[in-house]
Amino acid sequence: MKTLTRQGPMTPLLALRRRLPASRMLGLCLLVGLMLFGWGVPLLGGADPYAQDLMHTLEAPGALHPLGTDHLGRSLLARTAEAVRLSLGLAFLSVASAVTIGLVLGVAAGWRRGWGDRLLGALADCVLALPGLLLVLMLAAIAPGSFWTLYLGISLVLWVEVFRLVRSVTQGLMASPQVQASRLLGFGRVYLFRRHLWPALRPQVMTLAAFGAATAILAVSSLGFVSIGLRPPTAELGLMMTELFPYYQEAPWALAQPVLALFLMVLGFILLAGEEPK
Amino acid sequence: MSTMMTVKELCVTTAGDAPEVLLEPISFALKAGEPLTLIGQTGSGKSLLAQALMGNLPGSLEVSGEVWVDQQDVLSLPLSERRRWWGRRLAMLPQEPWSALDPIMAIGEQIGEGHRLVGGLTTVEAEQATRRDLAHLGLEDSYARLPMQMSGGMAQRAAFAAARTGNAPIVIADEPTKGLDRGRRDEVVALLREALGSHGALLTITHDFEVARQLGGKVMILRKGRCLEQGDADSVLSQPTSGYGRELMEAQPERWPEATAAPTDPQRKQAAIERSAPTLSCTPPPGAVLSASALGKSRGGRVLFKDLNLAFRRGDIVGVSGPSGSGKSSLGDVLLGLVAPDEGELWRDPSVQPSRFLKLYQDPPAAFAPYWTMGTLIDDVCRLHRLDSARIAPMLERLGLAPALLDRRPGEMSGGELQRFSILRALLLDPVFLFADEPTSRLDPVTQRETVALLVELAKERDCALLLVSHDEALVTKSCDRIVSL
Repeated sequence: MKTLTRQGPMTPLLALRRRLPASRMLGLCLLVGLMLFGWGVPLLGGADPYAQDLMHTLEAPGALHPLGTDHLGRSLLARTAEAVRLSLGLAFLSVASAVTIGLVLGVAAGWRRGWGDRLLGALADCVLALPGLLLVLMLAAIAPGSFWTLYLGISLVLWVEVFRLVRSVTQGLMASPQVQASRLLGFGRVYLFRRHLWPALRPQVMTLAAFGAATAILAVSSLGFVSIGLRPPTAELGLMMTELFPYYQEAPWALAQPVLALFLMVLGFILLAGEEPK
Repeated sequence: MSTMMTVKELCVTTAGDAPEVLLEPISFALKAGEPLTLIGQTGSGKSLLAQALMGNLPGSLEVSGEVWVDQQDVLSLPLSERRRWWGRRLAMLPQEPWSALDPIMAIGEQIGEGHRLVGGLTTVEAEQATRRDLAHLGLEDSYARLPMQMSGGMAQRAAFAAARTGNAPIVIADEPTKGLDRGRRDEVVALLREALGSHGALLTITHDFEVARQLGGKVMILRKGRCLEQGDADSVLSQPTSGYGRELMEAQPERWPEATAAPTDPQRKQAAIERSAPTLSCTPPPGAVLSASALGKSRGGRVLFKDLNLAFRRGDIVGVSGPSGSGKSSLGDVLLGLVAPDEGELWRDPSVQPSRFLKLYQDPPAAFAPYWTMGTLIDDVCRLHRLDSARIAPMLERLGLAPALLDRRPGEMSGGELQRFSILRALLLDPVFLFADEPTSRLDPVTQRETVALLVELAKERDCALLLVSHDEALVTKSCDRIVSL
């Protein structure tokens, strides 16, 4: 006990290390590694992910192309990095939007029960009744191959869970003595959110966000894999898998790259999420 | 008298390299037909003892010593064996019936399940036995009810019936009367006495002297895991020899000194009740900060109060008592404007800021955001109302709180300390009206006495009207100037 309570000044990293269990730390490291890969490779001045070189197709990893080339002679290092960047970027963007919308609407609905709450609840139930991938698919059919429809579709699927969680937690807290006490003392909405709601919501919302990011990444690559997501020549993990699949005997390392990248990304987010919120 | 259970040097420590003693070695014998009552403060290791006897302590704790029942040492038995004893040889009565009963299962089925699975009766026999149990407890019409459709006292009786289905001869009751009003407490004690009969054994753990007195038999007084004295209930309870025993006895509300400014004669005090006072004027009485006329509220089709006329002047100490569910807390909430009344009018002095009408809560930890240190939360109040933070230090001293506590979170303090912090937080705003909703019902008697005395004293000192709600009539009578009975 003594050694635990006697804490000197802590660096933020050390504080994080103490707070997160080992598995979540591993997930975080995986994701940071992938981000460095995705955003770092173009900075190092690698090859153009779209430049074809039909004289050097399906080359094994070597000095010129560290991860080899695909069937059109494009640098796999540049393409995998671009695909990772795209997946992570889309995941971050849609999760951020979904969390913002879910949080705002959830707190608004849970704060005061009434017709607004019922209306939002009904809307959430409607979205939930549709399979998530189907919704994304429908939107993708309207404007095929567009990054923004994918983003819109995934955000629309993800916000519902955040909303439902936030609403129920808010409802419970708003009826609690701690909130009543603060209101009697004259505190306003911002204070109630900052001191009472957000600390209770944060860990659960963060966990949901990490799961949501994994869902988003899988959704994008699934759509790419069945050729209704993003269009070639975009470097996208699902699309790359489909393209490289016919050459798995000649160039197994090529197919392995998008598969491994996808696996590590989803694993990273699931490890980071930890336990599912109750 | 045969001995049903012998406990030798039972001791509970934390596991690990540097064990901390939570319950010091204790020895006693439980005899047939003679109840044994353990009295002590919250945190004195009483509940640990009950769990150790049952053999369901959490794995992080180590238990040593011997517990002999029927020539067998319970502690040496494997968990699976002990589990088979539960309900059949040893039964533990739940502390809070609400949490012990399944909220979505009918009462009759819950009791019948015990008869079938523990008592080994057939389905038909179990139903008959259940109906018999319920009739015996005065719950004939509750067979198909859910726990939430019953009052606390009824649920307590039902939980009692469920715990007794295995006909265990040894019954352990851990704080069976916690939070119950006097009438219900006496009911539970009568049930316990009946369960004991002449062949059973009963171990009761409580901090209520009255429970021990009514049960009779033997009494032990515990403090900080150590047994201070033991003996016959009559002699120990009327003349405790240990200092702590005396302190505990003096802390029972029945023995408190009378409030000074009050009419000392209880008859006259009752006469001061303001119920059905004839005035129905809409103009508030002079000097009042809060007044209500012809106030009425019902809940679930039942009238809680009606035609209630009340006025609070600064410095008034008004008590409200009555059995649970009689609308005491609702009255306070209506007066504070937290709940709308069904009828009647409420007047608040408009020249006084709304944040000077405040409330103290029954469960102190529930009244604070648990994630922040007390210092942060108190600073928030000072910043919002532009108060001088230099006022905090003298108030801490006045309330007997160590300044170091400001660095702790609400979950890291005792209930008594937390309740004093909520008093401090309220007093910072110079309240004119303070509604204390059962502020001490979760505290042990010694802390309760200190807290109530401090609250009344501070309210008078700062010229604040206090509405003190408690199910304990003695507590209210002794500390308040006027009383409203519901």
